[in-house]
Amino acid sequence: MTAVIDNPMTRSTRAELLRLRKWPAVWVTVAVWVALALMFGYLFPYLSYRTGDLSFAGDGDTRAQLLVEMLPAALPTVLVQGLPMFGGALALVLGAIVAGNGYGWGTWKTVFTQGPSRPTTVGGSLVALTIAVVGILALTLVLFTGVSLVVAGVESQAVTWPAAGALLESFGGGFLVLEMWALLGYTLGTVARGPALAVGLGLVWALVVENLLRGVGALLGPVEAVTEVLPGTAGGSLVGALIDVSANPNETPGILDVLSGGQALVTVTAYCVGLVVLVLVLVRRRDVA
Amino acid sequence: MARTELPAVAVEQLHVVRGGRVVIAGLSCTVRSGRITGLLGPSGSGKSTLIRAIVGVQAVAGGAVRVLGEPAGSPVLRDRVGYVTQSPSVYPGLTVAENVRFFACVLGVSLQDVDRVLEVVDLARYADTMVGRLSGGERSRVSLASALLGSPRLLVLDEPTVGLDPVLRVRLWDLFAALASEGISLLVSSHVMDEAERCDDLLLLRDGALLAEDTPAGLLERTGTDDVEAAFLALIDEGAA
Repeated sequence: MTAVIDNPMTRSTRAELLRLRKWPAVWVTVAVWVALALMFGYLFPYLSYRTGDLSFAGDGDTRAQLLVEMLPAALPTVLVQGLPMFGGALALVLGAIVAGNGYGWGTWKTVFTQGPSRPTTVGGSLVALTIAVVGILALTLVLFTGVSLVVAGVESQAVTWPAAGALLESFGGGFLVLEMWALLGYTLGTVARGPALAVGLGLVWALVVENLLRGVGALLGPVEAVTEVLPGTAGGSLVGALIDVSANPNETPGILDVLSGGQALVTVTAYCVGLVVLVLVLVRRRDVA
Repeated sequence: MARTELPAVAVEQLHVVRGGRVVIAGLSCTVRSGRITGLLGPSGSGKSTLIRAIVGVQAVAGGAVRVLGEPAGSPVLRDRVGYVTQSPSVYPGLTVAENVRFFACVLGVSLQDVDRVLEVVDLARYADTMVGRLSGGERSRVSLASALLGSPRLLVLDEPTVGLDPVLRVRLWDLFAALASEGISLLVSSHVMDEAERCDDLLLLRDGALLAEDTPAGLLERTGTDDVEAAFLALIDEGAA
């Protein structure tokens, strides 16, 4: 039992969790995510519902529909609808700073000479990042549940819980999307050996380049084929499949129906596995600057 | 029968190329056990590259580096070698104690050891201070505290006294002497020649080549000079002649 608890991988994971837990930058990123998620998931729809100004409900929702989307039964949809756009971008920032700061401050160099092997050290860091991603999503779910209960209470609505399967499916899919973006950020932080360039390039890619490519892809067939395997397309399509966007039109930016649910799941999973392998190969083979 | 003591570090014909430029060409030297060895030379002489090769983070083009009897970078050396980089390797967003605790977790060292090493480097009173608020010298000592965790047999310190005031420098060298008296081997790089007198042995480097490997007294006697800086210049003249 002791061997399981106290092996090099768990020691690296514990160290990284300590760093993430105590690091103000992580909490700032989490706070921004929570604020944005609450704003777009509940605050703006609620203001729209209360004022009767339905311009925010761009999907042609009526006031009644807006209310339904803020009640506990809609948790599986609300939990994931912000992920393709700002959720993924913030996860990318988190991954980039977790990997990049170790290079920026020279700590990886010391850890790689004194700690466990490089793959074990980075493996522990990736496990810690994954735990952080799960934690952020769980925190979001708890907050959303609380807010949806408040909305139900204030608006005198009966509380109907979503099916456990739907909630689990939403949580699992949402986790995969966030994990993919976090790993992409981690990979960029490792390649760039610093946080600044990794965050900059990652955000430009996630928020600008992919959208531009999808625009060009609509006009040029060969480009369209490429855009179908991009991380944003895969993540957006997975969320689109989770909330059944073809049956329930949702104009939230980043939510797509380009790939089927199965294709999107395979693509996102392939990104997760491929990025982990790439990071491990890079840190194993490269000099530490 | 006299026992031949294994050197802490043995470098044989080391050859390092970085960015297409030969940084170290066929360098051989040793670091004796339980002694303070000063690695001296001007900026760009190859000190940091040699140190990186010794701690096993530098790809080498040729030669061999053995540390405590093992090839440099071997997994068995990870908890026997402490390394302090030229720039302090600390997280400014964490406190002093949290930084050292981070390394204690990685190394699997008891958290009580954190208090011990903070006492050793005289930072216990700053344990809860954010590292970002410390001076450069204090940050260096946080790095040093992390390197002292556990029981390293070799400490490799890359310019640990840069930016320190004279009082702190003296205290740090006293600490190095105390550690050496406990049997720990220290390799300390510096470009400040007057720190040579605090060392037991000296390695003088210039342009990636070893100018001299001697004790301070032996070096002065051999060059007929009064200080290490003059000895360094005499060796350059000797090489040019």
